[in-house]
Amino acid sequence: MSEESHEYFVKIDWTHDRVGDLTIEGKPKVQIATPPEFEGPEGIISPEDLFVAAATSCFMTTFITFTKKMRFEFKAFSCEGQGMLARVEKGFEFTKLILRSKVAVDSEELVSKAERALELAEKYCLVSNSMKCQIEHENEVTVE
Amino acid sequence: MSEEPTLFPVNLVWAGGKNGEVSIKGDIKIRTGPSTSSENEPSVHSPEELFVASAAVCYMNGFVNFSERMHIEFHSFNCDAVGILEKVGRSYEITKIEMNARVEIISEDIRDRISRALELAAKYCFVGNSMKCPIEHKTEIIVI
Repeated sequence: MSEESHEYFVKIDWTHDRVGDLTIEGKPKVQIATPPEFEGPEGIISPEDLFVAAATSCFMTTFITFTKKMRFEFKAFSCEGQGMLARVEKGFEFTKLILRSKVAVDSEELVSKAERALELAEKYCLVSNSMKCQIEHENEVTVE
Repeated sequence: MSEEPTLFPVNLVWAGGKNGEVSIKGDIKIRTGPSTSSENEPSVHSPEELFVASAAVCYMNGFVNFSERMHIEFHSFNCDAVGILEKVGRSYEITKIEMNARVEIISEDIRDRISRALELAAKYCFVGNSMKCPIEHKTEIIVI
């Protein structure tokens, strides 16, 4: 495989009812299920959660990559991701994702750099770029 | 369920380095990090893996749902999925996901209906339908 291409392997095993295990080699096993909205049990991670988590975590990782390229440090990063699943012509689809990110930096000079890194992360987040739905970002950078 | 969109909120907090911690509904956590091998801790999930996993888990949930509606029982279900990340223009995208599903049944009589449930699961996979990339499904039904 060339450097321009990578593969990601996952394994799913059904265990019972609407519940199964997600296995990725060398990583902790994750129990997964249908979400409660679609007759699944409470408290188990659903594919819908994973979809939103994939975009959110990719946004963070891409942001960190840009902070390193731009050679500045941040103190904290958090992001609330919200996915909206709505009925379309062929069943349900995610129609929108909203990612609300908060970054803390320790000086005023870093605010514009952090904002720029967030903008670049929006543009180059490969998971978001692989999704059909509209993705909205609300970014907030504060000095602590 | 109503026609109002269903919301899936996740919260991600940076956990140092390139790692983060995803919580869903308050308390369930998945540790995340970049997929690039040099800096990756072996025990964290990458956004790319979560993306592929979300499609595979959704496919399983769809299959379980359709098999229940069709009143057919299966002995086991598992699915190996691989996502392919490639350079598209100046950025990367997941360009294809391949699913290899294997279902074990105890009677030959229900083979066609299991096959139909797998087809419907592929067609109505909410998460898969929210992705830009094509998803290929290879299925194997075995009588045990």
